[in-house]
Amino acid sequence: MADRALVGLALRQIRFGGLAVTSVAIALTALVVATAETIVTDRSNLASLEALASNPAIRTLFGPPIALDSVGGFTVWRTATPLAVIVGVWTIVAATRITRGEEDAGRWSLLLSGHRPLRDVLSWTAGVLAVAPLAAGVGAAAALASAGTAGALIHGAGIVMVGWFFVGCAVLGAQVFASRSAATTGAVAVLGATLLARMIGDGVEALGWLRWVSPFGLLELSRPYAGNRWSPLVLLLVAAVALMAAALVVAGRRDVGSGVLVAGPRRSSTVLLGSVGGFAVRRLLVPLTAWAIALGAYYLLIGLVADSALTFLRDNPEFSSRAGQAGFADLASVEGYTATLFAILAMPVGGFVAVRLAAFADAETDRRLTPLVAAPVTRLRLVGAEITATLLGAVALTVLSGAAAWAGVTLSGNRDLSLAEALAGTLNMLPIVLLCVGTSVLALGWAPRGVTLLGGLPGGGGFLLYVLALDAGAPAWVVNCSPFAHLAAVPLESPNWLASGVMSAFGVAATVVGALRFGRRDLRG
Amino acid sequence: MSGSAVRTVALTKKYGGVPAVDDLTIEVPPGEVFGFLGPNGAGKSTTIRVLLGLAAPTSGRAEIFGIAAQDVAQAHTKLAYVPADVALWPRLTGRETLHLLASIGPGTDVAYRDELIERFDLDVTKRADTYSTGNRQKIALVAAFATRAPLLVLDEPTSGLDPLMEREFRRAVAEARERGQTIFLSSHLLAEVEAVCDRVGILRAGRLVETATVAGLRRLHRSEVTVAYTGAAPELAAVPGVDGVEPLGDGRLRFGLTGAPGPVLQQLARFDVTALNVREPSLEEIFLDYYGEPVRYDCGG
Repeated sequence: MADRALVGLALRQIRFGGLAVTSVAIALTALVVATAETIVTDRSNLASLEALASNPAIRTLFGPPIALDSVGGFTVWRTATPLAVIVGVWTIVAATRITRGEEDAGRWSLLLSGHRPLRDVLSWTAGVLAVAPLAAGVGAAAALASAGTAGALIHGAGIVMVGWFFVGCAVLGAQVFASRSAATTGAVAVLGATLLARMIGDGVEALGWLRWVSPFGLLELSRPYAGNRWSPLVLLLVAAVALMAAALVVAGRRDVGSGVLVAGPRRSSTVLLGSVGGFAVRRLLVPLTAWAIALGAYYLLIGLVADSALTFLRDNPEFSSRAGQAGFADLASVEGYTATLFAILAMPVGGFVAVRLAAFADAETDRRLTPLVAAPVTRLRLVGAEITATLLGAVALTVLSGAAAWAGVTLSGNRDLSLAEALAGTLNMLPIVLLCVGTSVLALGWAPRGVTLLGGLPGGGGFLLYVLALDAGAPAWVVNCSPFAHLAAVPLESPNWLASGVMSAFGVAATVVGALRFGRRDLRG
Repeated sequence: MSGSAVRTVALTKKYGGVPAVDDLTIEVPPGEVFGFLGPNGAGKSTTIRVLLGLAAPTSGRAEIFGIAAQDVAQAHTKLAYVPADVALWPRLTGRETLHLLASIGPGTDVAYRDELIERFDLDVTKRADTYSTGNRQKIALVAAFATRAPLLVLDEPTSGLDPLMEREFRRAVAEARERGQTIFLSSHLLAEVEAVCDRVGILRAGRLVETATVAGLRRLHRSEVTVAYTGAAPELAAVPGVDGVEPLGDGRLRFGLTGAPGPVLQQLARFDVTALNVREPSLEEIFLDYYGEPVRYDCGG
């Protein structure tokens, strides 16, 4: 009876998100399967696709293509990484929300005053959490089954295992850290680091072993439709079970409401606490540092491997020319090569913007904002300070990424890319970031719970749409719905000022409308 | 009368068509300690949210010293606020929180704040996420009492405090009153309201049912009178305001009295009364008088 109640409670808290993730898994897979047929049967398409796939930028994002000539292989290559990231991120956020978040809010004290100990509540909750990745994996496998069941099974099982790995990660984080945000940050950092490890493993041959310590690497090593290897997935399952077991052991040894790492007294510092703007910057510094380390490392790496990648492309000119036909810039020049990489910077920076403004929305919901709005400060100024700080952070990340890529290219011995060109390339995608700010603030005005989702839409959704639409040879208007269709390949080309201006104007207008609404509507909490 | 510290005129706030506050008119003059009473869900917090500009009124007006409550940049220079359930930024220490609130607030007396930190026995070196409910409340109270704001809006400020701290709270209220600050105190701790408030407003189902001084409220309500006499028992049944006459034996009787005591005193003077004891109703009894009967809700459902 008590167990049923625990399961019911956990299910109620994750059902909508779980359904959404499963739907995305099915829809994305089905969409790519449907378009893959025409792509893989057409020889000329296939050749340009292979050229595209050998572009290290695409390679580091999606992993190396393994069986591009089959519908299954192509679909797995296109969808495995995005799906694993979506399932992983959702799992982490949901897991820390319904474990540490509930504990933070004091609601678990009520639950644990019943006769079930913390470990029981935790294991039932984790069990329910595991259902969502299972559903997403089964859904993806089912959508892929027409392309061959063995590969579909491996692929689906891989998605499930990645999800379970991050359930373990997040639940362990929720035991170790005494706050929800710290637990989420910790688990997302693991996701980012292991994704980066796979990218490095793919890009640098000598470091190929890194893929064995990353769930994303293991997913790739399972090679659906090209060997169907179960051993990497077994390893992933063992890791997930070990994480979960560790979480339960830690849970048995701590007090409810606290973690293993509890912050003690520290010296107070009043730096940046003198004004609303200063406070917004102060709250930004720690997360900004984490984002800066991750993006800086990624772009430095991209820069370092640029020269070897370019040598390959110059030796195989037909690849780069075909990539050009497929909508990507001339890859054989360092400018063209970096331009494609600078465009995708809009995804993480847009994500940064969405996550920061979602944190502001959370502060409203859990009433941390109340003491600030009770001060003689208008809400417009409050949200304005937050937006300004977030934008400054986004620009800082953009500049840093450009500089890191330039440093990497230069260190690798290539002198063709100047720092100014690199910065122009990264700054060129800022209009998409402005769109992300706009949708985030619109959400803050009307649907504060949807800030992350809506804020991430122009960046993440836009890029996925662009790639999928290009793959499928979709009509121009579909491709043009993506902001990425309107970015010039800077530094190879000069910026498309008109398109950038229009996107920026849309972003600014949405921001203004959303902020005005936030200034007037009733506060929640 | 823009001289009022707090003023609402026909204030109505509806959520989804259901009124949480209904046609509320209150006026609190400067310097007064005003108790805002009502059971859970009566609309106290909603009223305060409108006064603070956190929610916009559906109709009617709310003003702080004559400034529209929605004009927060102006109105909030005049007030400090302690919410019922204090949420703080988890990574800031107590001292950092107080510094932030003082920096953006309506002006703070730092020396007095440090004194209050001592008096409320607050460890400001700890991070806010390690604070108990009571300690979070103390931070908000210290921040509010240390301001020079002419109005303090306190929403159930002592629900998490122990009796020792409750005593400090009452001292701080008394000091604020001496400085001339107005206090708008929402509470359902009747002893607290009785101890510190000049006047109370009683809210029920979103409507104001009474506004009076605590003494005035008592006068409106039934006192219990016991008399001792020798000789014949006083005949009181016909006296206006008297009810429930009850002989206690041994030359004593007890009755209830509502309204002015003149007639009953005149009647008692005709008899040989040896002792007279009047017990005024406690605020709790008055409160229950208002809420004892079932509350009718006019909205459907």
